[in-house]
Amino acid sequence: MGVPAVETHDLERVYRSGRSTVAALAGVTMGVERGEFVAVMGPSGSGKSTLLNIIAGLERPSAGVLRVDGEDLAALDEAALARHRARRVGMVFQAFNLLPRYRVVENVALPLAFAGVEPAARHAKARALLERLGMAARAEHRTNELSGGELQRAAVARALVADPAILLADEPTGNLDSASGATLIGIFEELNAHGQTVLLVTHDAQIAAHAGRIVRMRDGRIAD
Amino acid sequence: MRWADLFAMSLGNYGRARLRSVLTTAGVAIGTALVVLLIALATGAEDNVRRSVFSIGDLRLVTVQPFQPGANGLSAVPRTITDEVVAQLRRIGHVESVFRQFDAPLGMIVEGGDDATIRPQGIEPNAPVDRGDLLAGRHLALGDRAVAVVPGNIARLIAPNVASAIGRRVTMRIGGAVKLGSTRIGGSGTPRDYGVTVIGVFDEQASGTSVRIPLDDALAAGADNRGLTPDAIKQSTGYSGIAIEADDSTNVADIVRGVQELGFSSFSLKQVIEQIDQGFGVFRGILAGIGGVALLVAAIGIANTMVMSVLERTREIGIMKAVGASPRDIRTLFLAEAAYVGAFGGIVGVALGIVGGQVIERIIRNLNPRTNPGPIFVVGPDLILGAFALAVVVALVAGFLPARRAMRMSALSALRYE
Repeated sequence: MGVPAVETHDLERVYRSGRSTVAALAGVTMGVERGEFVAVMGPSGSGKSTLLNIIAGLERPSAGVLRVDGEDLAALDEAALARHRARRVGMVFQAFNLLPRYRVVENVALPLAFAGVEPAARHAKARALLERLGMAARAEHRTNELSGGELQRAAVARALVADPAILLADEPTGNLDSASGATLIGIFEELNAHGQTVLLVTHDAQIAAHAGRIVRMRDGRIAD
Repeated sequence: MRWADLFAMSLGNYGRARLRSVLTTAGVAIGTALVVLLIALATGAEDNVRRSVFSIGDLRLVTVQPFQPGANGLSAVPRTITDEVVAQLRRIGHVESVFRQFDAPLGMIVEGGDDATIRPQGIEPNAPVDRGDLLAGRHLALGDRAVAVVPGNIARLIAPNVASAIGRRVTMRIGGAVKLGSTRIGGSGTPRDYGVTVIGVFDEQASGTSVRIPLDDALAAGADNRGLTPDAIKQSTGYSGIAIEADDSTNVADIVRGVQELGFSSFSLKQVIEQIDQGFGVFRGILAGIGGVALLVAAIGIANTMVMSVLERTREIGIMKAVGASPRDIRTLFLAEAAYVGAFGGIVGVALGIVGGQVIERIIRNLNPRTNPGPIFVVGPDLILGAFALAVVVALVAGFLPARRAMRMSALSALRYE
């Protein structure tokens, strides 16, 4: 077996506010193998989104070890962490987080733009992904012309455009109707079937059931 | 991120809040236009003064005066310029030629009547004072005696026009009482009459009373007036002044130093111009400072706009960071946006300054047609480039703090910003 996609040891994240401290992660040790589809489940405040954000390089852990695709994130400076976000992980948010003033194809190509890929190449890649996700007809549209399901598919395309080692999704169906949610999960399954590692955070057991493995969290720890 | 992408993205951001961008740019444009206008005005004024000074005479010229160095007005301590001094002056480095001058006592051209008061200047042929300003006839030449080159106004007193004055034999009365304007003054010594032939007429703009006569004639007249011999008067009174021509205007300072070391006062247009340059440097600095205040106000406007922009686009910054924008990318994006404000404001401001200067100049000339013919506003390529660069630099400085704020923003906090 090769290098795991994600590997954590005693990962901690403590938030301080004045004198009080809140441990969002209180020693998380877990791993995600390449090609796995893992769902992290837990109630609100269990630390699942914090775990995902730390793996995504959006925030730093207070203590512990985190390796993504073999790279120790603690050793990375801000610029290297930005490269990690651009190339090693792809993130899908509940709120889509697309830029409304850009066309869909430009939104999808954005990580490649920040990675220094020239426009023709990055737009070709973005169009290919949009086609794969059934969004080819929407490539030139603005985001305000898209439905919730389409927005989230565009967001998935953006997360995949740089061929990340792992696709991270934080409650991706949270803002979608059940039909769109089901389509999205179908896409995740199909991507995983083609070898894409997926780490999904959800509080919805029905969504989590589509994953190959479920990790439950409670009070900042792995519950099982 | 590629520079081309960064600039394209920034340009898009600049065009997004169009009204705000236009207003901020207008502030920069007005500041830049003011800088251009005021510096162009100062440069125009300096050019006009320099042109006037250049028109007075040759920059290679150093005039030696019969005073101690540093003397001026009534405090002047007289020094005698003898032939020995002249010989010493000739030995100063970079001296090309030396021309002696002896001013005979005041007098008059008898044929011209009371108004023909003259200051007879004894000069050597080809003296700088006797060059290129003829209305008729010729300049003094080697071996000339009992001749005179007179100003146009005197020529017209003795003949119907300047051309017909040439060849006229007139009586030059030197010494005694003369009339200067409406005042009669006693003059010096006993008046004596000398017959001279008018050989040239010069433009009276240079001097309406100077009559150029051969140096030896002037010395003889001065000696007669004082009851001395010409040699004695050279020793006792000495020459009235010496005109030295340098081999090059850049060596004038060396000659001035040499003259002062010999103990004589000197005057050169070159030094006057250097003083003018210094004076105008200060003047230009003050005017540029006034324009700079306008640009500073514009800079505050840019900073305000950028702070607002960063605040409004917090979530967008978060998204860009989340998908891989580096802190440097974010900073450059906002700095480039500020640079666009500076660049567009600079271009418009320079254009406004140039056009504004032309409009103001036209108005001034319409109101006062006798205004100096030289341009009032002078805009050179250095001013255009300098003002443009200043606008961009000011914008970049103003945008620096907001850009740094955007750069330092936490991606996660920015994503959660409502």
